[in-house]
Amino acid sequence: MTMLTEDRGLARSKSSGGVKVGRPSFLWSLPAVVYFALFALLPLGVVAWLSFTKWNGIGAPHWIGTANWKSIFQDPVMIKSFKITAILTVLGVVTQTPVSMLIGVWAAGYQKNRAILSALYFVPLLMSAAAIAIVWFSLLNPYFGLPHELHFVFGGSLFNHGYLFSSQPAAIGVLTFVGMWQWTPFHTLIYQGGARAIPEVLYQAAAIDGAGRYRQFFHITLPQLRNTMVTSIVLMVVGGLTTFDSILILTQGGPGTATTSTSYYMYVQGFSDFNFGPASVIAVLLVVVTTLVSIALVRATGWDKMRSTQEGL
Amino acid sequence: MSAARQRPNWAAGVLSTLWLLVVLAPVYVLLKAAFQTQAAYSAHGPLSAPSDLTLSNFSLVFHSGFLRFFLNTAVITVAVVVIVLVVVPPAAYAIVRNRSRTVSFVFRVFLLGLAVPISAVIVPTFYIMNKVNLYDTLPAVILPTAAFSVPLSTIILTGAMRDITTDLFEAMALDGASSWGTFRNLVLPLSRGGIATILVFSALNAWNGFLFPLILTQSTSSRVFTLGLFDFSSTSGIDAPAVCAAVVLSIIPILLVYLFARRWLIRGLMGVGGK
Amino acid sequence: MVKSRNWLRRGAATTAMLAAGTAIAVSAGASSAKTVGSAASGRPAGKINVLVYGDAQNSAEQYAVAAYNKTPEGHKVKAVLSTIAGQYYQAKLQTIMSSSKAPDVFFNWGGGSIAQFQKAGLLLSLNSFFKSNPKLKSSFLPSILKAAAIGGQYYGIPMRGTQPVMLFYNKSLLSQDGVPVPKTWSQLVSDVSTLKSKGVQTPIALGGKSQWPTLMWFEYLYDRVAGPSLVTDALAGQKAVWNSAASKKALSDIAQLVNAGAFGQSKSWDSVNFGSEPSSADLVVNGVSAFELMGSWDYSTIQSDGSTATGTAPANGPGAAFVAAGKLGYTAFPSVPGGKGNLADLAGNTENYYSVLAKTRYPDAVADFLKVMYSSSFVKKELALGNLTTTKNTPSLISGATAPYLKWQYQLVNKAPAFQLSWDQAYPQTDSNSIHTAVANYFDNLNQSQYISAMQKLQPAS
Repeated sequence: MTMLTEDRGLARSKSSGGVKVGRPSFLWSLPAVVYFALFALLPLGVVAWLSFTKWNGIGAPHWIGTANWKSIFQDPVMIKSFKITAILTVLGVVTQTPVSMLIGVWAAGYQKNRAILSALYFVPLLMSAAAIAIVWFSLLNPYFGLPHELHFVFGGSLFNHGYLFSSQPAAIGVLTFVGMWQWTPFHTLIYQGGARAIPEVLYQAAAIDGAGRYRQFFHITLPQLRNTMVTSIVLMVVGGLTTFDSILILTQGGPGTATTSTSYYMYVQGFSDFNFGPASVIAVLLVVVTTLVSIALVRATGWDKMRSTQEGL
Repeated sequence: MSAARQRPNWAAGVLSTLWLLVVLAPVYVLLKAAFQTQAAYSAHGPLSAPSDLTLSNFSLVFHSGFLRFFLNTAVITVAVVVIVLVVVPPAAYAIVRNRSRTVSFVFRVFLLGLAVPISAVIVPTFYIMNKVNLYDTLPAVILPTAAFSVPLSTIILTGAMRDITTDLFEAMALDGASSWGTFRNLVLPLSRGGIATILVFSALNAWNGFLFPLILTQSTSSRVFTLGLFDFSSTSGIDAPAVCAAVVLSIIPILLVYLFARRWLIRGLMGVGGK
Repeated sequence: MVKSRNWLRRGAATTAMLAAGTAIAVSAGASSAKTVGSAASGRPAGKINVLVYGDAQNSAEQYAVAAYNKTPEGHKVKAVLSTIAGQYYQAKLQTIMSSSKAPDVFFNWGGGSIAQFQKAGLLLSLNSFFKSNPKLKSSFLPSILKAAAIGGQYYGIPMRGTQPVMLFYNKSLLSQDGVPVPKTWSQLVSDVSTLKSKGVQTPIALGGKSQWPTLMWFEYLYDRVAGPSLVTDALAGQKAVWNSAASKKALSDIAQLVNAGAFGQSKSWDSVNFGSEPSSADLVVNGVSAFELMGSWDYSTIQSDGSTATGTAPANGPGAAFVAAGKLGYTAFPSVPGGKGNLADLAGNTENYYSVLAKTRYPDAVADFLKVMYSSSFVKKELALGNLTTTKNTPSLISGATAPYLKWQYQLVNKAPAFQLSWDQAYPQTDSNSIHTAVANYFDNLNQSQYISAMQKLQPAS
């Protein structure tokens, strides 16, 4: 995980005798910092302020103290949305990780056929989330789409007799599947890059010891992909916690509120009901949770150990 | 390559072929439907063989104002890329070569910035853009979209610049080169790959952006492609083939970029996972 | 290890500080930007923006804009039409009304849908328009104009038609299966079971995914069972009425129909939209369903089903053929024996209106644009779409293919003792999502107490 090892560069230059000439000053980073602060961090400050106000989009927000914070936790839809978000996130990670890891490791080989296939895997990556959701929605039309054409597959109760948007399990299944279709190529690439970075010498040594392919996978590939997995899973979790486009287009949070995730509920609160105060409370919670989850995941999986596997090689 | 790794891996081969089918089936439907008449599509179903081919879906799409949406998206994409290319390389250079604590703070802020989801800022961004009278203009979409490309771009480019060896920097310093001279004559030429990667990335993000345009624009004159698509699919009893044609059109520019910059795109994506 | 913990903590602290610091900077910046904005008036020059609900009926609005732009006034100040897709219209409207992008003239439902805007001083009273051009007032039915008046000031000019909700049906499917057009609730229930036995899986088409179509079943059953007073009382703040015996009777009648599989099996209605695929109109046109309860605009929605025509071109899809072949039937909502409501009571939308932004730069141009609304050429365009306009000369202008539909509708509206405004229009916009969720959940779970408590949480404006 190159991104987390900035100390490496510093350490190297220190040992090089500290030539002072030609080093850029802090000012070089200023434009990026100011820009990022203005359009990404400033809104975080504003949203924190809005969470203590009442505002319906007309006129100016006015301060009402902690009322929004108190009421949001008594809102049953909100409580339910936490559960739905957690389910969607976990399902996303457990479905996308094995597939993208296996295909990524497989595609890391330099064979010609693998290269061609990996180029084809890419197609979903070129499509916007909106386009993907629209195409799948049209394909899953119960009367004129795949459920109708492939009735022998979709006719059973597993797929709610083809009415995929009418039951909670089926709708969650659709969201998970479409998410998988959309994101697996991206994570496959991450794993492909990770697998290619594993030193060949490790496999050669294992082969000399008589280890077969499966032992090699579990004893070399998997441990070596540890940091890659962390990166990939962090991205999946943050993405899963904030899934929005596909819910808006595919299920609109329904049936009823059965797929109303926390971030979709924030949109409904803000831009459909014009309760911008409660919507801001949800936004603040989202930032806190995604930040904590990323930090926790990085640390729980041994951030410092990761660095040593990398530097030790 | 060891002998063990060269034996065909049947399990992985079967799995990847299966997954390929899952990936390609909708792509087939998409391409076929885009050229099929609506009557044929509804009569024969999505998976049927191509029949009753026509170009009328595309002309319908163009008559629904998509040319304008294309143009808006292109303007946004170019502007976002320009902003990213102006602010990110100097910052990455400073992060790689400046040892001060301030600069390492900067890097940490960007790292944490990665965890900030776009959906968390839509309410305040809407509020701010309204306040400064930018609501429903292209800059309202450009400014935050570029900002959310900055952290990842900086991290990717920092990774690329670290590959420039210390010896080269020292040689420049011994020649008495200024920061600017080093940046222009050494850093920029040697991190071309990284720059291409962040260019492709920020372009992809801007081109496919949905949430910011959804919240920050409204009129037809500032509508972007993704929203036009969304609108198109949710108004009137619109037909699936026309929607497919619109989707196909939306992919073409990205496909071109992909064909020309495939190497950088893949390298960049792989770089996310570390090397 | 220690180091890593530190950078996380310091990084987080820096982020928080930057956020707080910039927040202060921005509130200062924002307030200065505000003064700049109001000084420069902020309204576009040389044009008036007209914003309407995007659906199958926009061809008449396109005609109106073009007609105005051809007049001498229109050459000076152009009217520019834009649309927002139906289901997002109301939400988007509210987000832009106080911005610099607010439309000069915009579509709405009168009553509750503009109350908040009026309260915030965003609307122009049309009384001055009426003074300078009395025909703008006298051309329309007074009761309809009043539905968009607040405190003696008029805020809306009718621009589509009155929209009672009625029961549409597929004539050929009914006659093929030997099913009579239902006049009573029990007839409807027995029709449903006959259709089911003949293999019609979804006798009644319902766009449950869009949620608001579901509400129409509640509006009519509450009227037929309890009479119009129940909802009037609820809107006056008497929340207990939702828990009354009549309310529960209406709910159990709905449950009877849902349980009979009238709307399909496996909650299939939740996979159907109104107006976009897979749409309830698709189901009626393609003979999947026999009935649909919908507003009068469904005539043009069905007509344009599957149509690839855009703009002002006539509809050319299967829906157009269906209507042209005379297969589309329509009838009033059945009576419920023993109920308090009158068979002739209606539910629906009174009208759609154009309201005017107080800040508009060209009030005179807007007044000229609004003149088009009572011109006979425009009225004829609306009538051709099946919209029953509310100008006084409407009866004399009815002709052509839609004449029987419109004459029947005219009679229906004329003799209706009560016209229940759609609940989601009668309640403030902030409650509309809660109402939709409550009715959608009731269809899914048939849980009376959950529904009743949801309705009791609503906050009527009065």
